[in-house]
Amino acid sequence: MIWQIIKKQGLILLRNPRQLLLLVGLPIILIAILGTALAGMMDDDTTPAIHVKVGILEHEDEEAQTDRFLEKLEDKGLPEEAMEEIQANREQMTPIQMLKKSVFGSGELKEMVELREVKSAEKEAVMSDDSYDALLEVPENFTYDALAFMFLDEPSQPMLHLFQNEGSDIGFSVVKDVVQQFQEQLTLNTFIGKEGIDSSVIKIDKDAFAGETIPFNQQEPVSAQGYYAIGMVVMNVLFIASTIGSMAFLEKKMYVFDRIILANVSRWIYFAGILISTSLFAFLQLMLIYGFSWLVYGVQWPHLLPFIAVSLAYAIAVGSIGVLLTALSFRINTEAILSLFSIIIVSLLAFIGGSFYPVGDSSAFLQRLGDLTPNGAAMSAYLAVLRGDGISAISHHLYFLVIFAFVAILIAAMSFPKRGLTT
Amino acid sequence: MLELVDLSKKYKQFYAVKNLNMFIEKGEIVGLLGPNGAGKSTAISMLSSLVEPTEGDVRFNNKSVIKKPAPLRKVIGMVPQEVALYDDLTAEENLHFFGRIYRLTGAQLKQRVNEVLEIIGLTDRRKDIVKKFSGGMKRRLNIGAALLHEPEVIIMDEPTVGIDPQSRNYILETVKRLNKEKGMTVLYTSHYMEEVEFLCDRIYIMDKGDLIASGTKDEIKRILSAEKTISIQADRLNDSFISKLKQHPTINRVIAEEKEITIMVAKEINMFSTLIKIAEDAGIELNSVDIKTPTLEDVFLHLTGRALRD
Repeated sequence: MIWQIIKKQGLILLRNPRQLLLLVGLPIILIAILGTALAGMMDDDTTPAIHVKVGILEHEDEEAQTDRFLEKLEDKGLPEEAMEEIQANREQMTPIQMLKKSVFGSGELKEMVELREVKSAEKEAVMSDDSYDALLEVPENFTYDALAFMFLDEPSQPMLHLFQNEGSDIGFSVVKDVVQQFQEQLTLNTFIGKEGIDSSVIKIDKDAFAGETIPFNQQEPVSAQGYYAIGMVVMNVLFIASTIGSMAFLEKKMYVFDRIILANVSRWIYFAGILISTSLFAFLQLMLIYGFSWLVYGVQWPHLLPFIAVSLAYAIAVGSIGVLLTALSFRINTEAILSLFSIIIVSLLAFIGGSFYPVGDSSAFLQRLGDLTPNGAAMSAYLAVLRGDGISAISHHLYFLVIFAFVAILIAAMSFPKRGLTT
Repeated sequence: MLELVDLSKKYKQFYAVKNLNMFIEKGEIVGLLGPNGAGKSTAISMLSSLVEPTEGDVRFNNKSVIKKPAPLRKVIGMVPQEVALYDDLTAEENLHFFGRIYRLTGAQLKQRVNEVLEIIGLTDRRKDIVKKFSGGMKRRLNIGAALLHEPEVIIMDEPTVGIDPQSRNYILETVKRLNKEKGMTVLYTSHYMEEVEFLCDRIYIMDKGDLIASGTKDEIKRILSAEKTISIQADRLNDSFISKLKQHPTINRVIAEEKEITIMVAKEINMFSTLIKIAEDAGIELNSVDIKTPTLEDVFLHLTGRALRD
């Protein structure tokens, strides 16, 4: 019986191209618009809207490391002329200084990135401080090892450590891009040096930065399109709840619901039909839009299992909203609650949940508040999964979604009118 | 078979139905007549177990069905006043869905869908989306959805509202046929007295939540045995003429429409010359004066002072 209800709802949805366009087409368009608009805003010289705070923790004395490297060169018996030339270009042998001054201290990045020196004792405090987007850790002997790798053909390449604040996506993405380019530049220099090519014949973009090999705390960055794919999907899926609610209310208004009840179908079967069909269509909507985002915008999920888990939990939460809206509209016998939800509440939830902008980046309170909305919790979970997190890292969001769904279903069941109160 | 005993439904301080007593025997076509807002729909909602009454009982085969409606629901088919169908599904998909909710499956479901499409004359349009149907076709499909499980009793709540005469006749003939050929018991509500007169063996008349008359057509019409109904037609009826009719001591009731006035007078009084004189005094020329055979409309007029469609 439930399957008949689901099948019928599906057929009706499929025959409403306008509804389908709103549910599936609109989020796809919004992802493109917002993803592009944000990228444009980040490139805008005059209005650097992104503020990124990065801590840098150095476990070495770079000057001493450079001296040590030069002594090593002398020991190797380099000709005096060569040693003099190297001494003259000594400042080019301080990669961390270059990163701090020439890269993070350059024109546009200077306005966007706030670089703070951090001491070892402050590391834990910085890691738990939401105002920092990332912490860059320079290990002991980094400069010496890097120079040795570049000039003495030492086999091991030293690594910088970049830690991400989980609440920061766009800011962290900026830092990661910068450090990655820094590394590419240094690697290029190394290659040129080793192959004996005169670097003056190669034009190097002044705005490109060099860096070292970086392990990123095993986390992938989230692109603007990835962010908005999630933001728009979690927002638009909420509309399936009001759509199914409206279809159910129309059934009641047109006395089809009475017809179903008179066929001796339990109202709880109908209730379950609404819950399951909303959840199922929400899940399909998620898969469709994410599938499109993957094909067109390249939004890829590192791990499938946590992605499916979040999608299922969120689809059930949306199903519970659908059945709650249905129960309330049946109870008060008006469609007003459905209109209120689709016009005002969805927008409000989307804003708090961070669908339009990562509001949580500006305030820890807003982040916590957002995580207490079903879409916000789903969004945080999806972002974590997109960054490479597993199920354990998002379990609290999954628990929240399941508890939310349970409570909503309970309220819906209590509100769903009993016999005689529906007509 | 079906019995309503002192049935009342009260919404806050307002009685939609008050102390309604009715019975329906197997194989009968019973009419429930009354103007809009008379309480007919509330009465049949209670009868069909959709709405719990405030007071009274509904009995099916001498057993109360208020708390346990399942036995009644198995044998009734309900045709609501509104077209209770899915506009975006085809006729066949609608019937298939309603058949499934009545637990019909497989070959049986297919057979019943075909039979019902045949009964309602929509076999050729089975694959068409309902929203493309005319009002009459929707009404026929609305009836069809209630016939799938071959109910013993069919309750029809104003099934011909807002449709063309051809579709209306088709529906009325279908109801007659179902009753005659399948022995289906029918409760037919309407505010069209001619439909009820055409179809029904017995009639209940409701007004403002109360039952005001009941019986066979002839029994009800006998209520008017002491009066006769006269229809007066003229091109330009004026207020003076209507006023004089209302003030005349031998005229019991006056119902004025655009080009026709209906009056009720005692059976033995000859009104012809009186009417001519009143018309002359009012300055109008009469086209015709007819003495009518009493109709249910006249009975309703007599009982309530209002026309059924007021």
